[in-house]
Formats: sequence, C-alpha cells, structure tokens
Amino acid sequence: MSEQIREQVSAFLDGELPDTETELLLKRLTRDGELRESFGRYALIGEALRGAGSQILTRGFASRVNLAIDGEPAQAPAHAQLRREARWWRPIAGVTVAAGVAAVAIVALQQRSISPHLSGASLTAQNVAAPLKAAAPAPSQLPLQGGGGPREALSYTVVPAASTEAPSAIAPARLTNYVFAHSKYSSGLGQRGLLTDLLIDDDEVPPIPAQRAMPPPPAPDTRVAP
Amino acid sequence: MTQPRLALAYWLVPCALVGALLSTVPQSARGADDPRVWLQRMNKALATRNYDGTFFHISGGRVETMRIVHRVRSGRVTERLQSLDGSGREFVRANDELTCYLPDQHTVLVEPRQDRGPFLGSLPQFDATVSDFYRIEALPDTHILGRPTRVIAVNPKDQFRFGYRLWLDEKTAMPLKTQLCDSRGQVIEQIFFARLDMPESIPDSDLAPTVHTDGMRWVRQGASADNASAALAAYRASQLPPGFRLTVQGAQTIGGATAPASHLVYSDGLATVSVFIEQSSSDSGAPSALDPQAQAPEAPMQGLARVGSGYAFSTVVQGHQVTAVGEVPAQTVEFIAHSVKISSGAEIPHH
Repeated sequence: MSEQIREQVSAFLDGELPDTETELLLKRLTRDGELRESFGRYALIGEALRGAGSQILTRGFASRVNLAIDGEPAQAPAHAQLRREARWWRPIAGVTVAAGVAAVAIVALQQRSISPHLSGASLTAQNVAAPLKAAAPAPSQLPLQGGGGPREALSYTVVPAASTEAPSAIAPARLTNYVFAHSKYSSGLGQRGLLTDLLIDDDEVPPIPAQRAMPPPPAPDTRVAP
Repeated sequence: MTQPRLALAYWLVPCALVGALLSTVPQSARGADDPRVWLQRMNKALATRNYDGTFFHISGGRVETMRIVHRVRSGRVTERLQSLDGSGREFVRANDELTCYLPDQHTVLVEPRQDRGPFLGSLPQFDATVSDFYRIEALPDTHILGRPTRVIAVNPKDQFRFGYRLWLDEKTAMPLKTQLCDSRGQVIEQIFFARLDMPESIPDSDLAPTVHTDGMRWVRQGASADNASAALAAYRASQLPPGFRLTVQGAQTIGGATAPASHLVYSDGLATVSVFIEQSSSDSGAPSALDPQAQAPEAPMQGLARVGSGYAFSTVVQGHQVTAVGEVPAQTVEFIAHSVKISSGAEIPHH
C-alpha cells in the first residue's frame, strides 16, 4: 500500500475522505484484491488503535495479521491482542469444516456427508473452551429468570462434557439448516449478518460433492454422517 | 401470549411491519434528538425507501464488497444483495421467495420467505423492556462520506447479548456504517457504505440477478408447516438470561429429517435465539419399526459452533437433541440449551 493510498484509506475509515476520492478508492478496492486485503488489516488495526477494544474476533486471519501490514508500526498488535478464533462454521468441538455457509447449505440440502478434518481438533476445543469458562459467571451469580416454570437451581455447565470429543460436534450440514430456519426469526441486523455471511466467498470451501435432485426425500445412503 | 408486547416481539422480524408500528409510537413524547427516535427513523428508511449502495463488510480483517438494491413499489419489496468480490453470489428476495444464486457452486437455492425485512436489516422497536437490557445513547456527531452523521450506540448491559453502533445519515437516517460489538464494546464485525444512492425509482434491471443460471441446478426448500409431536412441543427453556422471553413456538422440518422439530424462538426484543428440539436416535420407538427413516439417524450432537456473528450450541436433554442458535454470545446459547426441559404447563404463543 503506497503512502498516498494508506492516507486515503485512513481518511476513509475516519469518514473524512472527500466523496470524489472515496469513489476512486472504492473503484480501486473493488478491482484490487491485494489492496482490499491490506485495507482489511488496516481497518482491523485501526479499530484496535481507536480503542474499540483490546480483543477482536478474527476469522482465520489473526495468524497472518502479525503486523504484516506494510510499514505499519509494531505497536498496533500490542493493543490489539489479536486472538485466534474459531473460523465461521468451524464447530468448536472439533469437526473442523472450513466452509462458507452457502456451500454447507448445499451440502446440507443434498444430505451429503462432509469429510471432517480432525487435525487440530482438540487444540481448537481447548482454545475456545478456556475463555468461555473464564468469562461465564458462576451459576449462583447468574440472574435467573423463569422461562415458564418456577425458579429452580441451574444445572448449567459452561463447558459441555462432550466438547472435547470430536465425533459429537454439531454436524455442519445440520448446523446450516438450523441457521437457515433461525434466520427467518432473527431480528434485522442479526439477519443481515447471517445473509452477508452467506455471500462471503471462502477460499477454503471444499468442492461440492454429487448432487441430489429435488424434491428432497431423504435417502438412507446419503444421510449426513455425524 | 396475549400481551401486546409479546405479540409485537414476534413481528420484530418482518420489518415491513415496523413502519406500521412506528406510527403507534408517540414520537412527540420524545425529543427529536432522542436516539431511539433516530433508530426508528432508520428502521423506517431501511424498510420503506429505495436505495442502491455499495458497502464493505469487515469481519476479522476480511473485507467483502457488496451491493444492495432495495425497492419498494406498490407496497412490495424487492431486494438484491450481491457479492462484488470473487464468489459472485447473489440473493434476490421477491414474491415471498429468497433465491440464492451461487455460481461458484453451480447452484440456485430457493426458499420460501414470508418475512419482508430488508436484507440490511433494522433494529426492532425500542420499548421499555429493551431499555432494561440495552443502554441506548447518542455519541458525538461526525461525518461519513462527507455527510453529517448521527452516531447511536446500543450497548448491552450484560454479557448475554451483543450491541450495535450505528452511524446514521442526518438527512435520510440510513445507516452509513454499522458495528456489531460485544458487551465490552469490542467490534465483532462492521459494514460501511462506500456509496449510497436513494433514487426515486429503480428499474427492474437493477434487481435482476446478473448470474447466468444456464447449467446450474435448482434446489427448492419446502415450506415447513407441520406440527411437532406433543412430546417435543412440551419442552421449554426453564431458565433464561434476563429479558429473554418466548415469542414464537412452532415446528420446523430441519434439513432432510422426516419428523418436524419443535422450534422455539426467544427474544429480548432485540437479540433472538432459536431452540430446536428433535427426536433423538437413541429413543426411537414404535415409529421406527414402521418407517426406519422416521427418526433422525444421526448420533447425538454436543458442542458449540460459531455461526457468523453468533453461536450455536447443541446438547442432549432427556434423549432429545436440543440446539440453540442465535446472534448472541456463546454463553447465551449454552445457557438456554442447557435449561431446556419438559414443561407440563407449556406456554403457547399464537402466531
């Protein structure tokens, strides 16, 4: 990223880039994948530097972020404390399927099984489970509210017992179906998130296996394997 | 579920109704600078205006360029959301159908969609209950795209929900920039517009998909209208994070399952969590003798998964598969899923 472009991006993120220049920058961004990538890093670090937070959820990106930004000073990551986070659609309990939701959706509709990549599964589970454990309040501190029945003691465990057992993770295809069903009821901005996530191209999308004609009567031999 | 507030909450999603709801809000009771009034203006703009814009979606340093075209004509909403990067994927919502064009997968998905909310989404009504769990405040005005902009923060008061920061165009109330934040104010994802036009009219050609569908396969999802079995429908979350209430109870056939799952929707007025209760393979009874495919054949699932900006959590309760999904922090879906149990006096909201 040239100095001029970096200044433009910075001004843009601050909302101070004149419209004419914004238009040019946009055109460049839509044309230039490399610039877009740099822009993403810049935006991420910019947020951290602005004090938006000391942690930012990342999506398979944190590992590369390590201040690879051309010319960026090294203090940015210190502020950012970038944390590796489970990738979108990676069931934390272990079945690692890196795939865009749309791709998974098709797989789900076809009821094809997806080969899980189990490498690093336990690592993922540990990494994610630990902060959850730390972040959750003790059951006695949780402000409870009856969901229809009388108040009772919680049998609430933060880290599910099965979370370290790779085979019992949520099958990605099933997960996709849940999300689709849920998105009809999710409120506006959340739904926007779901839909824009659907649009996101994912470079780790596995090839879609053979198709199944509609209408979809479930065939025994094509059931999703857990 | 006869209380107006809850009936209202159920309709938070179909944003076409938001405009109607707005008319019932005594805006005169609030100052014009009340941030809630600005949020309602945004709702109305998103649902009722024509717009055509290009925006960036940033999440974890990943940037996607997208175009949104939204048209309201004779009360009907037609909308197109298009990825301008790489994948070339497009969604078109028209005539109560959501069509997903996925050229990279050579597939077109069609789903019936009754909701008419805009793709970009909007925040639901802000009533007193929402204020109990979110602190809504105006931040100092600024400029975006050279335009005067109001900045509104919707901050969650606890860690069970996410918040938003919104930069609203002073003139149109359109959100020029949106951030999804956690309870500590940390940005999870954001979108912002690089260009936004609000034309008087939008030609059909701007709403037609640019994807060539020759040779692509079409997959149509059926509408779900079945009732879940009484056994499944009797389950409820016995405890909920503060502010969450049951707003919808229905049934949904999940994927290729032959038996519909019970589908519960819990909302705090802003965040929404779906809970699905399904027959588990471990307790298949008589029906399986008649129809071996009647029960879900999958082994029980347990665990947490990331879904976009939210989470899903699945567990087994009394032999039933229970899955909670929502644009909420992980602990919220875990909390709700773990509390699901049979409830004899199950409250049934009416659709």
